[in-house]
Amino acid sequence: MDSLNKGSFIFSNQTSEQDFELMTRALDASISGVIITDNQQPDNPIIYCNAAFERITGYKRKEIIGHNCRFLQKEDRSQKEREILRNAVADGKSCVVEMRNYQKNGTLFWNELYMSPIKDAEGNVCYFIGVQNDVTRRKNIEQELKQHQDQMERKIEERTKSLRESEDYLASIVATVRESLVVLNPGFNVLSVNDHFIKTFKVSREETENKLLYELGNGQWDIPALKELLENILPTNNPVEEFEVEHDFPHIGKKLMLLNAHRIELEGQFKDRILIAIEDITDRREIERRKDDFLSIASHELKTPLTTIKGYVQVMNRLLPENASEKFKTVLQKTGIYITRLNNLISELLDVSRIQTGNIELHKEPFDFDKMVAEAVENIQSVTKTHTIILKGSTGITYVGDESHIVQVINNLLSNAIKYSPEEHQINVYLSRVSDFVKVSVTDTGMGISHEDQNKIFDRFFRVGEIQQRFPGMGIGLYICSEIIKNHGGTIWVESEKGQGSNFSFTLPLN
Amino acid sequence: MSKKILICDDDEGILDMLEFVLEEEGFDIIPEKNSLNIYNVIREQHPDLLLLDLWMPVLSGDQVLKTLRKNPDTATLPVIVISASTEGSLIAKASGANDYISKPFDMDQLVTKIQTLI
Repeated sequence: MDSLNKGSFIFSNQTSEQDFELMTRALDASISGVIITDNQQPDNPIIYCNAAFERITGYKRKEIIGHNCRFLQKEDRSQKEREILRNAVADGKSCVVEMRNYQKNGTLFWNELYMSPIKDAEGNVCYFIGVQNDVTRRKNIEQELKQHQDQMERKIEERTKSLRESEDYLASIVATVRESLVVLNPGFNVLSVNDHFIKTFKVSREETENKLLYELGNGQWDIPALKELLENILPTNNPVEEFEVEHDFPHIGKKLMLLNAHRIELEGQFKDRILIAIEDITDRREIERRKDDFLSIASHELKTPLTTIKGYVQVMNRLLPENASEKFKTVLQKTGIYITRLNNLISELLDVSRIQTGNIELHKEPFDFDKMVAEAVENIQSVTKTHTIILKGSTGITYVGDESHIVQVINNLLSNAIKYSPEEHQINVYLSRVSDFVKVSVTDTGMGISHEDQNKIFDRFFRVGEIQQRFPGMGIGLYICSEIIKNHGGTIWVESEKGQGSNFSFTLPLN
Repeated sequence: MSKKILICDDDEGILDMLEFVLEEEGFDIIPEKNSLNIYNVIREQHPDLLLLDLWMPVLSGDQVLKTLRKNPDTATLPVIVISASTEGSLIAKASGANDYISKPFDMDQLVTKIQTLI
């Protein structure tokens, strides 16, 4: 070991044996496995391996010298890297491959093999040197990474697919919906319209898209009130709801359109766009009008013969002989009651239909409120034999409202009070002025209403279950009352305990 | 001498019934089914009061009433409108009726209204 003497490394020309040993030690110190095969002998046997090779493969030197390297692949022979190796050997070229190799005990390891030929002066390949590195850890990490990547890609694919699907889904909704849809940018230019819009307005996309909304057609949307509402949508997020546009449109003539407009919000995107939905309600409105007309005529026609019947029954009452039997009197009295009920049903039918279509018209005029209540009470009293109605209090007010409707409310409350207190004989009506309201209360001491039902009795067609059995009706009287009071800006409510009677009150604002 | 009431309604049932009831009350009744005849009947028979239906074919009650009010001879003739229409009371008031009663009405109430006017 001359070359390492005196602490300095001097490559000696004389001591080749010592040099060889130095090289061998150096090779053994390497962490890479090194083998040398002899290409001049059949089947390229291993003629050298270093210590690292033994460590990586678990084979001892003596077990492998003279063998071809292929034992490292055990039965795993179908790897395409073998082809690369074979070609490199045949061509006498160097190559790098990563292969699955197996330790002596069968454990898989990834071998990064760098193979290079050693040639003689004539260029014949005499030996191959193989440098091996166990890259199992790196390979595992790579594989994990790949797995993650695959997973990620799969996820992205799924997400893309679901996005595409939801886009298709939205597109099919937009295409199917029987409303005309328009998307506007903040400058009120039309970005897009759906097919239904094109069909409804008999226009082309070219003359619609990228145009200012207000300049479409013959200026049908150029309405100052609509403009103001639309301009408020983006800054305030206040939608435009149920805006009616009656207009003589180009191509389609006079139509009534119902407009709804909202700011578009889609997962935080598109907040600067406006979606307008337009519905042609021309036919619907016409049908509603015809229905109202029909009910008006029907109720008028039904009431006419009823007037005659009622008149004759009253005549019968007058002609009633002193000695008429109780049975006969009862029959007459009941006939009277049912005529009243039939009349009420006819009126209710007409009213509820009008309320449903929003056509309840108020004819407001000043009238003497106290007188109106007194007359209503008197009217009901005149046909009520079973109960006494006691009216107390006064307002002294000339109220401005729809007298006939408010009379209807009082009639309804009074007849309910009578109807639902069959065992009692007195109904109290109290009239007062409270702050800037007039208040009317109707109190009975009858069967009362459970708390649960109190919330529902002002709903349309609601009837208390057991009541339906004993007192048939349509269940719309109180609904109509509450609509009438609401339309006057007032409130109606009930206070009641089951079995202890009910107190229905309403207030109407004076201003 | 008993008071004369002209009743104009296109429904015969109501005409008959009202005639029957109001005669019982001691009134003289002139029933008229056709509103077009009203002016002639008034001119010839000078009723003290007119009970007038609104919804009649050809010439409606409010048209009749407006014409009557324009004519000095009939401008002050007491008229009670009887109608089954929900807007009846408003139309009656707007056309110049003295009073209004909705169908179906209470007979006593009608009689009271008549007595108030004549």
